[in-house]
Amino acid sequence: MIVDASGQKVLQACTQASSQGVQPGIRLKTALSLVADLAMVRTDPQQEARVLQDQARWLYRCAAHITLVPPDGLLAEIGSLQKLYGGLPAVWETVEQGLNERRLTAWLGIGHTPLAARLIARTGKGECSADQGHMLRLLEQLPLAEAEFDTQACTRLQRLGLNTLGNLFALPATELARRLGPKILAHSQKIQGTRPDPQTPWQPPHRFRQQADFVEDIEHSQGLLFPLQRILSELEEDLCWRQQETDSLNLLLCYRYTEPTRLHIRTSGPEHRAEAFLNLIRLRFEQQPLQAPVVSLVLLVKRFIGREAASGQDLLGETPDMNEAWHTLISRLQARLGDGALQQLAPHADHRPEQAWASADVQRKQRKANAAENPLPCRPLWLMRKPQPLHTKPQAWFAGPERISGGWWDGQRVQRDYYIAQLPSGQLAWVFRDASQGWHIHGWFG
Amino acid sequence: MNELLSALKQNARIWQGHQPAHTSQPAESTGYQALDNQLGGLGWPRGALSECLLDTPGIGELHLLLPLMQRLTHSGKTVFWLNPPHTPYAPALVREGVDLDQVVVIHTKDSGDFLWTLENCLRSPVTGLVMAWPGKLALRDVRRLQLAAEAGSNVCVLFRERCHAAQNSPAALRLELQPDANQCLHVQILKRRGSWPGQHCELPLPQRAGLAAAETSRVVKGPWPKSAR
Repeated sequence: MIVDASGQKVLQACTQASSQGVQPGIRLKTALSLVADLAMVRTDPQQEARVLQDQARWLYRCAAHITLVPPDGLLAEIGSLQKLYGGLPAVWETVEQGLNERRLTAWLGIGHTPLAARLIARTGKGECSADQGHMLRLLEQLPLAEAEFDTQACTRLQRLGLNTLGNLFALPATELARRLGPKILAHSQKIQGTRPDPQTPWQPPHRFRQQADFVEDIEHSQGLLFPLQRILSELEEDLCWRQQETDSLNLLLCYRYTEPTRLHIRTSGPEHRAEAFLNLIRLRFEQQPLQAPVVSLVLLVKRFIGREAASGQDLLGETPDMNEAWHTLISRLQARLGDGALQQLAPHADHRPEQAWASADVQRKQRKANAAENPLPCRPLWLMRKPQPLHTKPQAWFAGPERISGGWWDGQRVQRDYYIAQLPSGQLAWVFRDASQGWHIHGWFG
Repeated sequence: MNELLSALKQNARIWQGHQPAHTSQPAESTGYQALDNQLGGLGWPRGALSECLLDTPGIGELHLLLPLMQRLTHSGKTVFWLNPPHTPYAPALVREGVDLDQVVVIHTKDSGDFLWTLENCLRSPVTGLVMAWPGKLALRDVRRLQLAAEAGSNVCVLFRERCHAAQNSPAALRLELQPDANQCLHVQILKRRGSWPGQHCELPLPQRAGLAAAETSRVVKGPWPKSAR
């Protein structure tokens, strides 16, 4: 049974409860006295709005002009879609199919005005026809209580002896405005279509957010994968419809008592397949066990990248796509080892050996190596992380000194004379003597 | 039966001591003719583990692999360095003609991650060469890696200490590296598929420090003034 936010009134009741006399609209106390062991759930307006948004998202694929009618309605302009779909029945069928796929219970209604469509859908007698006369007949039979007048207006009309919308429509407009006020007239005219009722179209947000709330807490990460699979395939579908890809997912795991965990899942390149995301998330879960039972999870995607045509494949797609294989491997490694574990190296324009290289996150670069042949000086292939003091006397000296002096501008001053020397162990070392006359090894000629 | 036997011989699973077998195992040339000759004209085996056993860095062990690295990075294959003991120095690699866009350095925290990473790299088609410094490695793990290497077709070189030379290993190729006079690298073949081990060769590698072979010393000698800074 669902009760309203203040916990006073029953809004919905399950079949079991209604068989024992619990009706929507009765007070909670009455309901409790009828059935002692009622299970109650309070409505959450925020969540209702979110669910409505989610539904609008997929409906947006079928129709362009959508208006949200909180708390439970969606309006879509379909007059202009008839040509695209090839007739009204096809549109109706598409929407019904979408509803069936998502296992949603919804009442469809077609009306010549937004309000009319809404009222017809509420009655549950919606039919797939564009016949205005039929719609008006349906509306005329509608009791005033269901015509969405505010309660005050409704009682006033009922006291006048008006019971259905048809009675109201029959009255002359000027009299109606004079006696009952312009608001009621406007409402009635908006239903009939004699007064414009512009609707602001809903715009889909430029992000993807889905939440799964669990009835029972989930203790194992395996259990999270199942709802994630559904969300990720929604994401894949969404990305396909937008012709976009993404390279970062935000996953929020909410616990009952402790602070939620935020997981940031990155792929090394643009990706849209649910399977690839799921594999990365599975790896991540293996690395990070759950702290506590999870109450709900939220998947949020904010970064979108335009999709590029797959390259590097021949016409029949027989050679495996190396680019894709590369991204798969790097993403897997990153997911398991963490962000800083993978590095790519690049030289950096500086004379100090410690500063002459830089590491960066791994990225696939497609540029061709431009043959800028810099006359780089001879350097060892191994650089020690920190210079080590030289303990043994070198056996032979080969080249040097090469004086490197610099860094006065950023406080990491270096003044050294570098030599190439062979140690008694046979190793070729890059040794230097610094300003304090101490000898150090800085690299190996591996 | 005969087909089976010849297939085994072709893959160098069985070899006859009295005749040098010409096998068709996939391999990558080392880039050093002297070493290739000793390895039956083939080079580094692909889809199998190779081991380099050495005590200290700086004896030319990277130069042994440098020709392969150059070739692979320019053909678009990725070279992975797994847990290198020191920093691979980017300016030197560029100078030697290695395309750094294809070089990925990975550091792992524990041996579980190390094995997992190595296996994944080995199985991927993008990998050309994996160089790994495993530290301690159980025999069971080497066998597991050998299986992973067989699943892919890339060169994998493990750098291990020379004290492991006496132990047996499932690796397809085992080389013992020692420094020699005149900046040479002495390579002793401990094991290879398809033939007797025990060959050895000397690779002159003075160019790794920018020295010509004949040149002895280019050190500018003192006297240094005492007050020099």
